[in-house]
Amino acid sequence: MGYEWQFSVLYQYWPIFVRGAITTLEITLLSALLALVIGLPAGVGKEARMWPIRCVCSVYIEVIRGTPALVQIVWIYYCLPIILGVQLSGKTTMIVALGLHAGAYVAEIFRAGIASVDKGQFAAAKSIGMGYWQSLRRIILPQAVKTMIPPFINEFATLLKLTTLGSAIAVYELLHESNNLIASIYRPLEVYTFLAVVFFMITYPFIYMSLRLERRLKRGE
Amino acid sequence: MSALVEIQDVKKSFGSNEVLKGVSIAVEPHEVLVVIGASGSGKSTLLKCINFLETYDEGRIVFDGKLVGYKENDQGRDIAPESETREIRKNIGMVFQNFNLFPHKSVLENVIEGPVQVKGVTKSEAIEYADELLKKVGLADKRDARPSTLSGGQQQRAAIARSLAMRPKLMLFDEPTSALDPELVGEVLATIRGLAEEGMTMIIVTHEMAFARDVADRVIFMDDGIVAEEASPEEIFTNPKAQRTQDFLARVLNQRKVLP
Repeated sequence: MGYEWQFSVLYQYWPIFVRGAITTLEITLLSALLALVIGLPAGVGKEARMWPIRCVCSVYIEVIRGTPALVQIVWIYYCLPIILGVQLSGKTTMIVALGLHAGAYVAEIFRAGIASVDKGQFAAAKSIGMGYWQSLRRIILPQAVKTMIPPFINEFATLLKLTTLGSAIAVYELLHESNNLIASIYRPLEVYTFLAVVFFMITYPFIYMSLRLERRLKRGE
Repeated sequence: MSALVEIQDVKKSFGSNEVLKGVSIAVEPHEVLVVIGASGSGKSTLLKCINFLETYDEGRIVFDGKLVGYKENDQGRDIAPESETREIRKNIGMVFQNFNLFPHKSVLENVIEGPVQVKGVTKSEAIEYADELLKKVGLADKRDARPSTLSGGQQQRAAIARSLAMRPKLMLFDEPTSALDPELVGEVLATIRGLAEEGMTMIIVTHEMAFARDVADRVIFMDDGIVAEEASPEEIFTNPKAQRTQDFLARVLNQRKVLP
């Protein structure tokens, strides 16, 4: 006998999904912002002339890229309080942890973007008396941004999906809300299927946008 | 009169490859110095050391009374703070082989970028001077065009205007016509010649021998990281003393005769 799907029971619980989606988006946006703030100096620092800076940035990027996001989250949630005596709330933990996580990937995007701009541009900017950060801001980044946008959007979509790890520390994002719902209505298959649909609807527009942009930028070259 | 640029026994290596092996040159105000020599003789590197786009290992470069790039102390010297090097660069214009215009900005925006962002000149004042310069290099009608829509010769003239906008005391030209199609070389050389007539102090690295002879007050022939010969253009082109100069000139001048 086959399984009897009953999606209609989910209908009355739509506010739960909306609530979860809001938390998910909130975590995504704030951690993406944090990732940008961390990523630029980390990406630039990885190529810095002074070796201590280069060292710190490389270690940060490689440690983050070499460990699972879930471990990073759990570590910040449970270990940081023991070491520093600071207990972050679940949601703040998610924002900080995912921000640090994505920051390492964003750093690589910045580094590659800057490296993609002709070195002569730095020379020209310096020759009219510009400093490093000024040339970066006025001359290099505006040119690099074209190549950086598609990977940025991809990273954003990845971040969106990574928020589900918040359920491990009881943050009320989409997955955790869904699990709670399952516990009360015993319809795991319907809930998870619907959850997948919700995620796809939120994430795919970004992926699509990134594909379109990439194609357009290629044509423009 | 004291020299505007004084290069004293400058040495520079890239790894184990010594490209400058003790170069000394002085350039007087309003002088046009042309540097010739084969590729790899260290000409371009020397030019980049003058505005510290390249560091130099030994010796001193003094521009307008200030040591370029370093701060001397009892123990020796350290790299000078960036702000001091920037101060020197503001007064030295540089024109590159590949133009290096900012592709995301219009010609006018390229020209006013330095004055507005670095010198803090008001935008209207910068635009006024930029228009004057663009007229001088013959690009008044291209002020709002993007660099990518210009010919190589036009791009190089725009780059010259960009450098001049900083009102430099010295202009450095690093093979300004090497990346150009032959028919576009003339317009760029004419622009540089115009500057020479106005009394701009210039150091020009070039492979255009006829131009060198015409525009230079003094010619330096570099070979293998040293100054092999230094003379007036008449002397160096009609009666070169050093064997290496003779060989080099025979080679390049012959080539020019064979090729149309």
